[in-house]
Amino acid sequence: MSTLRSEEMILNVGPQHPSTHGVFRLVVTIDGEEIVDADPVVGYLHRGTEKLAENLQYTQIIPYTDRLDYLASMINNYALVHAVEYALDLEIPERAEHLRIIVMELNRIASHLLFVGAYLLDLGAMSPFLYVFQERERIVQLFTEICGARLTYNYMRIGGVKWDAPPGWLQKVREFIPFMREKIRMYDDLISGNEIFLNRVKGTGVFTQEEAINHSLSGINLRSTGFNWDLRKNQPYGIYDRFDFDVVLGQKGDCFDRYWLHMLEMEQSLRIVEQAVEAIGDGLILGKVPKLIRVPAGEYYAGIEGARGELGVYIVSDGKDKPYRLKLRRPSFVNLQILRKLLIGQSMSNLIAILGAVDIVLGEVDG
Amino acid sequence: MFGVFKGLGVTIRQLPKKKVTLMYPEVKPVWPERYRGIHEFIPELCIVCNQCARICPTDCISLSGTRDENKKLRIDTYDINFEICILCDLCTEVCPTESIRMTDQFELASYTRDSLYKDMKWLYQNHIEHGSYQALQAAKTEEEANAAREAQAANAEAASGAGQKASPEEANAARMPADETVSSSGKGGQPE
Amino acid sequence: MLNWQSSPLTGIGFLGMVIGGVLILGLILGIVTYLIYFERKIIGWMQLRIGPNRVGPFGLMQSIADVLKLLIKEDIVPENADRSLFLLAPIIAFVPSFMVLALIPFTATHVFTSNTQVGLLLYLALSSITILGIVLGGWASNNKYSLLGGMRSAAQMVSYEIPLGMSVIGVVLLTGSLNLNTIVVAQSRHIWYIIPQIVGFIIFMIAGLAELNRTPFDLPEAESELVAGYFTEYSGFRFAFFMLTEYVYVFALCALATTLFLGGWSGPFLPSWIWFAIKTSACIFFIFWVRATMPRIRGDQLMGFAWKVLIPVALANLIVTAGVALL
Repeated sequence: MSTLRSEEMILNVGPQHPSTHGVFRLVVTIDGEEIVDADPVVGYLHRGTEKLAENLQYTQIIPYTDRLDYLASMINNYALVHAVEYALDLEIPERAEHLRIIVMELNRIASHLLFVGAYLLDLGAMSPFLYVFQERERIVQLFTEICGARLTYNYMRIGGVKWDAPPGWLQKVREFIPFMREKIRMYDDLISGNEIFLNRVKGTGVFTQEEAINHSLSGINLRSTGFNWDLRKNQPYGIYDRFDFDVVLGQKGDCFDRYWLHMLEMEQSLRIVEQAVEAIGDGLILGKVPKLIRVPAGEYYAGIEGARGELGVYIVSDGKDKPYRLKLRRPSFVNLQILRKLLIGQSMSNLIAILGAVDIVLGEVDG
Repeated sequence: MFGVFKGLGVTIRQLPKKKVTLMYPEVKPVWPERYRGIHEFIPELCIVCNQCARICPTDCISLSGTRDENKKLRIDTYDINFEICILCDLCTEVCPTESIRMTDQFELASYTRDSLYKDMKWLYQNHIEHGSYQALQAAKTEEEANAAREAQAANAEAASGAGQKASPEEANAARMPADETVSSSGKGGQPE
Repeated sequence: MLNWQSSPLTGIGFLGMVIGGVLILGLILGIVTYLIYFERKIIGWMQLRIGPNRVGPFGLMQSIADVLKLLIKEDIVPENADRSLFLLAPIIAFVPSFMVLALIPFTATHVFTSNTQVGLLLYLALSSITILGIVLGGWASNNKYSLLGGMRSAAQMVSYEIPLGMSVIGVVLLTGSLNLNTIVVAQSRHIWYIIPQIVGFIIFMIAGLAELNRTPFDLPEAESELVAGYFTEYSGFRFAFFMLTEYVYVFALCALATTLFLGGWSGPFLPSWIWFAIKTSACIFFIFWVRATMPRIRGDQLMGFAWKVLIPVALANLIVTAGVALL
């Protein structure tokens, strides 16, 4: 009796595939529905931000950071201005610091919301994706009021922020908090208890703490394994040390933990926003900054907790008004490195669940 | 087992709710004050200081100017290439006279690349149609009226000699609305 | 009424059959057109959107415009596709979906219903031919996504035939007939079978959803994994055929559920066809509602669910029903 002939098949998932979240290409070798090998190919959205930055003044780089992780531009803005401020040892006015915290945490909520929606869309449920856009729209409108743009905010400036909060804006933020809390409960009803969803994500894409650290994962991907590492707590920057919030941790390191941490972090971000809105006082929004910003010669690194992990800016300066070299540690790109290991041996339907949970934004991966 | 039904309950509750869809082409969105849209340009205010062209991260602004008989710089050409403009607002931030500002227009789609290259005339037209032209005009007439009123008040003061109490108040009251119009139209520049 | 089913085949009888077939085809095209419209509207409302609203008043002409667009599109056959099979597959998929409608008793007068004694069996037999069309379409496209989609649908639909078949045997046992007309008459005399056969009904709906490839069992056409599954390479008219098949089956399956479990056309006061329309619409609404809520189940879990849960439960239901019927 002759055995049935079977062969492996190479399948190009992307760059134009509905659930690669942009132009990400994954060359998978499959045997039936089982993945034998997976090879991520990145760079379709590469714009050379780091190289462009070498010919730009520090203020001019800020709009470029908007376009890295375009779902959390405020946090990207802050990463750059924070690195420059750290290099210049600038003092930031209190009101500016509070405004920064408020917009960053609101942006983190918006980014996590979109993760939840897009992840459920990957898993085949359409409604959550459309529901999350309602809450995100509230946040985006708040941002439009304060800085005039819906996506590419360009709000932070070295030494402060560009605009003060318009009249009534803080009240709107205050009103947003209970609204958002209610919506989080709605998502719990809609998604977190759904058996089909739980069966798909529980126990898939598991990695251990050692693996996570060896792949230098950060953010929720690292915390889902139970490793307590949040730069807002562990290396407090800005005025994060004044606020009372918890670092939420997962246990198993599977896709469900990563989904669940996104939900819990939204709640923690709301807590920070709540406290910051109460604590904000009057004052300047831009500190004393030289007209032309020159970073003293030397090398500086400042990392912050982005929406997707440790977002670091490394500046090499030769004392001019433009950086000699600017290196961005983009968390999506680093987190992507574990993907191949996670995918081998899984089925095609798990591919989407795992890729979605790693939570990449292609603008950030390709830089 | 019941999580599935909870989800079904959530979706059916949305059925009668008010829909959030925007009727976009028929109903234009109302943008907040600070909305960053297509630029407007006011040639009379420009002093050809080149700051906007220098700060632009994508080098999309090109301009030229000449000195007139009073040794003052006057703008000749002012072009913005909207193919590469990223509407980052840095040009309006550095402009010392607020001659370049941003309107709430955002529709730039077109069939040719050339038509995205907007010149001074187009930008000024945008200023008249969608920009702060009317607010500025109102402010100007208000200012003129104020000046006239103040002059009148001064005349009256001089004439009566004893009406010191009424006149400063009156002048303040007259100045107030003018200030408001100017600040509300101020889309560029730093608030401070 | 014209009883052309039992009389011998004559010229007039044949003409009657053709006219009846064309009428039903016209009717079903209308139903499918507005089925798609209502699906989009209902899911739109559930997602806080307004759904189609541009073509015609309230967007009523939207589906018609879509069909017209599909008809005038180019019929593309990929170069490396197995041409004859590629062209044949949509027809193989569609024809059975239309044939099964002949078995459904829409009204009390059975104008267009074949009064065959093996109606239920014939429905199940015909509907499994569609799987062949889907597998062929997936294979003949010579596209990797189509192939995966075709494979998935073969596995899924073959597995779910069994619980589907088992769930309706309870009804057959209670009636003692495979004739759909007899089943409805029996229900109108006693009680709707949804009450004694509630377990059977639930299994029927779940297995039916899987047979229809609809959410949460839409693995063969999972757009986030397989782009469009077995019909990725199809365009224009042939794509329309696959869509038509899917929606005719939605209607047919809901009609069958109505007939078997909800008392078919029987009901007080209103004309029988209105009762039938109301019950079928309720079933269809449920399918759309589920689609707006559920994520997609995973392939291995789908199989496990069929073989480890549905089939044992259906068997238990069958044994209990048999015991009750015996008494």
